[in-house]
Amino acid sequence: MTIKEIGRRWLKEPLVHFLIAGALVFWLLSGRAPDLGERRIVVDEMVVSGLVQRFYDSFRRPPSQDEIDGMIRDYVRDQVYYREALSLGLDQNDEVVIKRMRRKMEALAVADAEARNPSDAQLQALLDKNPANYAIDPRTSFEQIYLGADNPENRLLADARLAVLRKGGQIEAVPAPIPAQLQNAPAADISATFGDEFTLALRDLPQGQWSGPVPSGVGLHLVRVTGRSTPEKPSLTSVRQRLENDWRAAEIGKAQEKAYADMLEGYDVVIEKPKG
Amino acid sequence: MRKTIAITALLLASSALLSGCEQLKKATGGSAEVKDTAYPEQVFWGDTHLHTSNSVDAFGFGTRLDSEAALRFAKGEEVTASTGIKAKLNRPLDFLVITDHSEGIGATKALYEAPRMLISDPTLLRWHDLMHEGPKGSLQATAEILAARASNKVPAALNDEKAAVERTRKLWAEHVKIIDRYNEPGKFTAFQGFEYTLMQTGNNLHRNVIFRDGADKVGTMDPLDPSEESWPDKLWDYMDAYEKKTGGKVLAIPHNANVSNGLMFMLTEPSGGPMSAEHARRRAAHEPVVEITQIKGDSEAHPFLSPNDEFAGYGTAGWELFNLLGNIPTKKEDLPGSYVREALKRGLLIEQRTGVNPYKFGVIGSTDSHTSLTTTEENNFFGKHTGVEPSAERATAGFVPGVNSGRMNWQSLASGYAAVWATSNTRAAIFDAMMRREVYATTGTRMTVRVFGGWDFSADDLKGNWVKAGYARGVPMGGELKAGKGAPRFVISALKDPIGANLDRVQVVKGWVDKAGKAHEKVFDVVWSDMAKRKASGGKVAPVGDTIDLATATYQNTIGAPSLATVWTDPEFDPSARAFYYVRVLEIPTPTWLAYDMVKYKLKLGAEIPLKQQERAYTSPIWYNPA
Repeated sequence: MTIKEIGRRWLKEPLVHFLIAGALVFWLLSGRAPDLGERRIVVDEMVVSGLVQRFYDSFRRPPSQDEIDGMIRDYVRDQVYYREALSLGLDQNDEVVIKRMRRKMEALAVADAEARNPSDAQLQALLDKNPANYAIDPRTSFEQIYLGADNPENRLLADARLAVLRKGGQIEAVPAPIPAQLQNAPAADISATFGDEFTLALRDLPQGQWSGPVPSGVGLHLVRVTGRSTPEKPSLTSVRQRLENDWRAAEIGKAQEKAYADMLEGYDVVIEKPKG
Repeated sequence: MRKTIAITALLLASSALLSGCEQLKKATGGSAEVKDTAYPEQVFWGDTHLHTSNSVDAFGFGTRLDSEAALRFAKGEEVTASTGIKAKLNRPLDFLVITDHSEGIGATKALYEAPRMLISDPTLLRWHDLMHEGPKGSLQATAEILAARASNKVPAALNDEKAAVERTRKLWAEHVKIIDRYNEPGKFTAFQGFEYTLMQTGNNLHRNVIFRDGADKVGTMDPLDPSEESWPDKLWDYMDAYEKKTGGKVLAIPHNANVSNGLMFMLTEPSGGPMSAEHARRRAAHEPVVEITQIKGDSEAHPFLSPNDEFAGYGTAGWELFNLLGNIPTKKEDLPGSYVREALKRGLLIEQRTGVNPYKFGVIGSTDSHTSLTTTEENNFFGKHTGVEPSAERATAGFVPGVNSGRMNWQSLASGYAAVWATSNTRAAIFDAMMRREVYATTGTRMTVRVFGGWDFSADDLKGNWVKAGYARGVPMGGELKAGKGAPRFVISALKDPIGANLDRVQVVKGWVDKAGKAHEKVFDVVWSDMAKRKASGGKVAPVGDTIDLATATYQNTIGAPSLATVWTDPEFDPSARAFYYVRVLEIPTPTWLAYDMVKYKLKLGAEIPLKQQERAYTSPIWYNPA
C-alpha cells in the first residue's frame, strides 16, 4: 500500500473528520485565530491525495497533472484566505458559521450520551423517582348495555330498564360497534372507546351489580362491573425498555444542557431590551 | 475552562464511535406475552405514513425532530416541535409507521452537517449554505432539491455515491434499532418501514413499505432506492427477495393517486396494451391496501367522475389540477386512474377480462406529515411540513411558502388515520389485518365502523351478538362474498368519536359491471339521524343542518346521532354482475383547521378558504363474485 493510498483511506475515516472538525471548534472556541506558527502552508502527499480523491468523486476520472496543479494552487489560496479571514475575525457574526459551529458542538456534546447504556441501578432509580409514569394500568372487567344518545327520554327509560336487569331480566341494547363485555381492559383502552368520563365513572361503581345510567362520550350505558385488578407495582423487568428509552432521552437532554451551562459559565450575558 | 470542554468533547466523540458496535449487539425487542382475541374486538388507530428529519425533504423543510421524537409524540408524550411550539396529542395512537424516503435517506441532513470545505459540487455547496441561512433558505434549498430530482439533475454526490450507500446503511441500522426499542406489544406498535418515492416526471407513484418483522430481519436489507425506476416492478422484486431471504413479510401501500395524473390505477400494462392476469396478480399480492386520504388531499372520488354524489369532491380542491410536483397539468382523461372509487370499478373490469382483480384493496388514511408529528385534529394541526406549523401566516401561505408550488396551504387537509380491526395491538395482528383488508380510513377523527356482508342477516341480528354472527355467517370489511341465495345483506354499525361530532348518515357505495362490460356506481343512503323528519326525496336525504359558530370555531352535538346501525339489503342486486360495496360515514359539519386558525389568530380569510366540512370514514369494500 502506497503512502498515497494510506493517505486517501485515512482522509475518508469519519474519525478523522471528527478530529479535524473538533480541532476547528477548539480553535474557534479559544476565541482567537489558530496559532499560525511559522506561517507555513504545507501541501504534502496526504493533502494532494485528498484533492485527487475529491476530484475523482465529482468527475469519475483521475485529474490530469494540470488539474492537480490547479487544485493545489486553489488549496493554497483557500488556506491563505481562511487563515487571514480568521485572523481578521471574519468568522464572527457570520450566521452560517455560527449556526454550523453550534450544531457541531451540540452533536459532540450528545454523542456520548447516545451511546451509553444504563445500569440496572440507574433504571431502578428512574423507576423509583416516577413510579406513576410506569404504573401498570388498573384493569377492569365489565358488561355494558348501550342505551343510545344521552337525552332526557333515554335517561327516563334507563331507570325502568335498570330495574328489569336488577330483577334478573334481559333488555335489548341499542346496536353499536362496541363490545358488550370487556375482560381485564386497561383504562387507556376503555377511554379509547368510551371516553375519559366513562372510565372515571367506572371506578366508583359497585361490583357485581347493574348500575347506571353511566354517561360516556357516545351516550348512555347500564353497566355491571364484574372484576377489578389491584394495581400492580411496575417492576424493572416489566418496563425495562421504556425506562431505557426515557433514560437515554433524558441523558441526551442533560448532556446538551450541561455542556451549554458549562460553557455559559465562562460568559457574562448582558441583555439590553429596548425601552418602551 | 473552555479548552477543557472542547478537548473532553473530542475524546467523548471518539469513544462514542468505538462503542457503537457494542450497542448494536445489545439492541432488544419487546417480548411481552400478548393474547390475541378470538376475533377482532377492538379497532386500533395509527398512522402508516410519517416523515422525520431523516427524510430529504422533511429536513430541508426545517424538521429537526428525529424518529424517537416522532414515536414519543405518537405515544402521547409532549415534544417541542421544530418551530419551538409545544406539541401533544389529545389521545395517543396505537401504532405508527415511520416512512422516511428511502432515496437519499439522511442526505439532506448529511449535506447540512458536512464540513463545508469538503463539499466540492457547487450546487451542493449552494444548498448547504442556503440551509444554514435559516428556515427561508432551507425551504428554498428543498424546493430546488425537489425540482432537481424531478428533472434528474440531482448532483451525483448527493444521491448515488458509495458514500450515500454507506450513509444509508449506517442510518438504517440505527433506525431499525430505535424502532424496535419503542415497539411495546399490547400497548404500542412501532412498525419498520420506509417510503418508496417512485415518480415519473413529477407524477406520483409513491408507495409506503411496511414490514411485519423486527430489526433482526429488516436490518438485513437496505431500503430500496427508486431513483432509476418508473414502475413498481423493482419494488415487488425487492419485497419477494426480502420474504425469501428472511422468511418475514412485507406489504406496500400506494398513496396520493390524486396527483398521479392517472398512472396509479391504470387499465393497461406499463408498456401499453391490456393489463395481463400476471401483472394483476402481482399487484394485488403486494399491495393489499391503498391510502385514500391524507394531508395532500383525498383520493376517494371526484365530482367529475361521480356527478350524482353530492359528497364527492372532499379535499380535491387544488390537488386535481396538476401532478405532485405541479409540472404537468392533470387532464380530464387522467382522473379515472387517479381516484379510488374508479380504481375499484376498473378492478372489476380487469377481473371480468382476465379473472384477476389487481385493485382488490382495502383503504386506510394517514397523514404524510413531514414534521415528525402525526396530527389530524383540526384544532391541533401541525401541517404538512415545518414551514407551515401553526402561525398566523400559514392559512394564506403557499403550500411551500416562498416557492411557487402551484398550491395553497389552505388546500391541506388535517387528515387522516388508519383504523385496523385486529386481534391484538401487535405487529403480527395489525399487519395480518391489513393483509386481509379488515381496515378503514377516516379523515382524522375516530369513528368506529363495522360492516359484515352475508346472505341471511336480518334486522333481528342487531338485537343479539351481531359481531359474532357477522363473522360466523358473513364476511367483514375487506372480505369476498361467494354466490348465495337472494340479495346480499349488510350489517352496518357506526359510532361517533367519543370526543368528537355526531354522525349525519351512513352510506353504501356500490360499484358493478353490467353485461355489456360497462362499470357503474351508485351511492345509497342507508341510515341517517332523525329519519322520521329527514325523509328522502328524489333519492336524496335532506342535509343534517349546521351548528357551527364561526366566531368561536365551535359546534354543538344537538343534531345528528351518536350511533347509527342497520341491516341493509341491496335493492338492485343482479346475481350475474360482479360488484363491490363499501361504507361511507359522514359526521355532522364541524370547523376546519382553518376556522380554528381564524379564531386563534384573528384572521380575515377569503371566501375560497373552507371553514366547514363533514369529516368521514371510508371502509374497505366487500366484493361479490358471481358463481
